[in-house]
Amino acid sequence: MTPTNESLVAAARDGSGLATVYRALDELVDLYALDDAAVVVDVPGFGRQVLHAGRRPLRDDEQGLHDAEPGLYLQPPLDDPVLNQLMMALGTMALRHDAGAAWGQ
Amino acid sequence: MNGVALDQLELQVRRLTGVLAVGFVESDDLVLVEVQAGPEAYDELARDITVLASEHVRGPVAVELVRWGDGGPHVSERRLRLVELTTDPGAGDLTVRLARDEEEAVGRASTAGGLPAAVEATVAAVRAFVPELPYLPGWARTVETTPDRRFLVVSSVTDPFTRTHRRGTAEGATPIEGAVRATLAALNRTISRDL
Repeated sequence: MTPTNESLVAAARDGSGLATVYRALDELVDLYALDDAAVVVDVPGFGRQVLHAGRRPLRDDEQGLHDAEPGLYLQPPLDDPVLNQLMMALGTMALRHDAGAAWGQ
Repeated sequence: MNGVALDQLELQVRRLTGVLAVGFVESDDLVLVEVQAGPEAYDELARDITVLASEHVRGPVAVELVRWGDGGPHVSERRLRLVELTTDPGAGDLTVRLARDEEEAVGRASTAGGLPAAVEATVAAVRAFVPELPYLPGWARTVETTPDRRFLVVSSVTDPFTRTHRRGTAEGATPIEGAVRATLAALNRTISRDL
């Protein structure tokens, strides 16, 4: 396992769903030397949600993510349908998992 | 702020109706929570976020709510814009010139007060357009300096009668410019109907 995969798996094992998604976004930024990354998901109980790398504010939202369809948004763009689907799935599961964990407390 | 508290706060805020995104900026003495919300967001959303934030964050916390869309025909809001910001070190004062369309007004404050002088001068200029403005100058803090030397500033104004606070964030080429723009961001949303 590469160090990147190792820390992502550790986050999934020990951390929350949200922390794991943000770790994945941050590692995408590092791995591909991106300027920015975000994933938009639509989750029952939450509606459409934007998760931005680094948990950073969107501020003026120059990419228009507040109005974007679910998907993975990278700057510069990277056309990888599998990665797109995986990140959307991860984001969706993360919120569902964390909501379930909070409900069980 | 530890990760668990951050996760819990973010999760609870995301469950509030209309919330689309949550972001954080942490500095030594302040946690800024920025929430982006869509047209389904309700009137008391900012209050509910502030309550949640104060439950999860120890120490000073600022909440900025950015609303998008209104669900109806788009009507452009009237806003005040910054025309000019000047400082006179000799006289020790700071001048903020704002405009509403072609009409301009000026606010001044002593630079002896430091960064809050930018808030004071901006509020004075806003009051020229909205004499009944209930908000008084509060504070301003630089919460982040970007690698390209831009300054992210949070500023706060207070209505002493209702004890409500409005906070805004903005970037500037200097902390003073950031504070002026942050004060405008805090006030523009609430005064647009009076402009």
